[in-house]
Amino acid sequence: MSSTSFPRRSFLVGGVRLSAIGAAASSLANGAFAHASRIARNTEPGGERILVVIQLTGGNDGLNTVIPHSQDAYYRARPTLGQKPNAVHQLDEHVGLHPKLGGLAELYRDGQMAIVHGVGHPNSNRSHFRSMEIWHTAEPFRPVGRVGWLGNLADQLLAEAPGTLPALSVGGRESVLSMRGTTATPPTVPDDRGFRLARTSEQISAERARLSATERDLQGSSKGRTADQLAFLRMTARTAYDAAERMSKITSADAKIAYPDTPLGKELRLVGQLIRGGFGTRIYHVSLGGFDTHASQASVHGARMEQLNGALTAFQRNLMEAGCSEQVTTFVFSEFGRRVEENGSRGTDHGRGNPVLLLGGSLRAGQHGTRPDLTDLVQGDIPSTTDFRGLYRQLEADWMGLEPFASEKVDAPKIV
Amino acid sequence: MPRFSLPSVAPRQDAPVWDRAAAAHVLRRVGFGGDETAVTRAVEAGFESTLAELENRRDHAPSLVGPAVEKLVSLGNLVPLQSRWMSLILGDGAPLLERVTLMWHGHFATSNAKLGDVRMMHVQNELFRSKGLGDFRELFHAVAKDPAMLVWLDGNQNRVGAPNENFAREVMELFGLGIQGGYTEKDIQEAARAFSGWSVAGRAFEFRAEHHDKGEKKLFGRGGVYSGEQAIDRVLEHPSCPRWIAWRLLDTFVKPDPEEALVQRVADVLVEEKWHIGRTLGRLFRDPVFLSREARRARIAGPVELVVGLVLATRAEIPPVDAVRAAGVMGQTLFMPPTVKGWDGGRAWIDPGTWLARHNWLTDFALAKGLDAAAAFGPAKRTGAVDAVCRVLVPEGIDDSMRAALQSAADSAHSDGHALHKVAALVITSPEYHLV
Repeated sequence: MSSTSFPRRSFLVGGVRLSAIGAAASSLANGAFAHASRIARNTEPGGERILVVIQLTGGNDGLNTVIPHSQDAYYRARPTLGQKPNAVHQLDEHVGLHPKLGGLAELYRDGQMAIVHGVGHPNSNRSHFRSMEIWHTAEPFRPVGRVGWLGNLADQLLAEAPGTLPALSVGGRESVLSMRGTTATPPTVPDDRGFRLARTSEQISAERARLSATERDLQGSSKGRTADQLAFLRMTARTAYDAAERMSKITSADAKIAYPDTPLGKELRLVGQLIRGGFGTRIYHVSLGGFDTHASQASVHGARMEQLNGALTAFQRNLMEAGCSEQVTTFVFSEFGRRVEENGSRGTDHGRGNPVLLLGGSLRAGQHGTRPDLTDLVQGDIPSTTDFRGLYRQLEADWMGLEPFASEKVDAPKIV
Repeated sequence: MPRFSLPSVAPRQDAPVWDRAAAAHVLRRVGFGGDETAVTRAVEAGFESTLAELENRRDHAPSLVGPAVEKLVSLGNLVPLQSRWMSLILGDGAPLLERVTLMWHGHFATSNAKLGDVRMMHVQNELFRSKGLGDFRELFHAVAKDPAMLVWLDGNQNRVGAPNENFAREVMELFGLGIQGGYTEKDIQEAARAFSGWSVAGRAFEFRAEHHDKGEKKLFGRGGVYSGEQAIDRVLEHPSCPRWIAWRLLDTFVKPDPEEALVQRVADVLVEEKWHIGRTLGRLFRDPVFLSREARRARIAGPVELVVGLVLATRAEIPPVDAVRAAGVMGQTLFMPPTVKGWDGGRAWIDPGTWLARHNWLTDFALAKGLDAAAAFGPAKRTGAVDAVCRVLVPEGIDDSMRAALQSAADSAHSDGHALHKVAALVITSPEYHLV
């Protein structure tokens, strides 16, 4: 077949003219951009509230994170892993933070941190997979949810402003269940450099821009499935290119701030840059793995605590310096805590209740919930005395001003 | 020209022309696509012969793992298994068989992320290969007892008095009836009782009678002392079941969101063909809807489809493992679907992050590595670059505004060869190319 006999209709079949689709997509996209800049203005200090969720994957040993240094039972249960009272950063006569969490202890003293003791969920079977699913979907009873609690928030924000980026995961490739929405598919920023275009695409950037410009100028109406699909693809592509451009501007203008050179440090640096730069995203999700410490826990867990401390402290101090700490709440959780008694391999096995840490300038700082009493355990575990769903509800409704995901109302101490 | 053979008559429309666009559509949909020569051959051979070739090519071993890979798999390494499957998808296997295997992998989604057992993942994949084009009832029964599936959905932890409903729920919601399939929570609980005692021992299915609930159960309004096998039979008898499977076939092979009447029509064929997937697909491919305008370029390409389609079209020689990784970065890692629901597909493939992943991989492919322009498009001056590239990548043709932009890219290239690379990069990063 010779090249001249190509049908000269639209690029693709279906009788849909490329030009028509371009126009439809651009009207959608223009609306989106208008809204994006509105959000951007609102994230100036005093602007819209932001939620940052940090997931500690593998079951963080909360007992060696928030340490009951006054309880003899702690030292009896942890002959090799117990942290000595004088090494712990004591917050009061009962509890203190892990020796590597000095930065967080200072933030606590500065009223930038809250601790909720004994957080967990009913129906625990101590499986990582299952427990994480429960935290992600806020559903301890139904087997498997499809939509996550943060995805639900993203859905609502996206409905208000199509074509924007209400939620972002930073780091990692796999999308997390908590971020999945019904309509929103919050993207994952693959690494700490943020969205960016491959260098090769510079060779075609002029023509790509020219193509977009052509589409924008043409008039027409679109119909049919192919047209809808194309309009969707075009809008997403524009959001993507726009996000890459804005991210690159924000990060290159704001590259000097010192964060620890660790995976979490670099990821939180990006989150901090985007918040300070008014990127417009309102929900961020970041993970740190390696908490499943069944053997030789002390050094592994200590390194994790150090990474967490360095990154979180830099992040929070940064937001404070930039004057936007009051619009950001950071929620740090793990799927479960670990057994009170250490095992025979100087590690700990899967447990239950666990402290949740929160950072931010608008929190009810201090300690909440029931401090664990290590002489009163449930099958060797710290009981779950606060249902995490009661905390979610406050973050969803009271903090973000959105509809909570779980229908069931459970009580929890006030944190915001 | 196609003979049309679904039962009730579809809405009348003009018979589609058997041209390069139609041939490329058939190659893309029944298989994963082909190069310019394949399209030319298909146009010459005609619709029926082209289809028969894609459906029946059995000159390649359908088995996933040969002795060399077997050793690596036994060591628990997923990468050789992923690469081997990708090499079959890239053309060493039978096109329709590979496509159907990928479809069932998504339908009966099981992930090695939870399982951590490459052997079990392999066994499950062989099951999709051996039964995926045959009687769906056999496939369903076999998958239900597949060790990977039972571990994945905790079906092996379901005992009388301590039921685990996870498996029973997915048997209805995901495998057999669909989320709005007309079953109740009670049906799930009763089915879970029927499945109690199913277990896995040493990577094999095991029935443990002492853990089985021998009482009467009530499923879809009818009581009986059902075994697990009988519960699956009851699901298969439910009117939603053929519709759900018909929906899956239409969504994979024809178009997204197929209308209810079409779903029912294909469901009727499925039952008439005694649940034979290969024969049902054969009739579906010969139905007017398959070549219809509304089906052309109506689906958003999944990452595997996108990467493989491009590699085949351009005759690129890239290691299968690179194709595995490329699809993974775009959101589809073989043997690791994200949830029990598999890959949602359609628009869920595309978000700003995955779009940039596509854009970046594709521009690198076209401009830095992978694409051999001479092999893909033949020799061409920059004046002929647009036609040379579009003949291969867009047999449907392009409109004037697109052509002008592509031509200006060719004009500003620093050589004739560079012109082909630039035009190809622009075409494959255009949203249009991501519709298949």
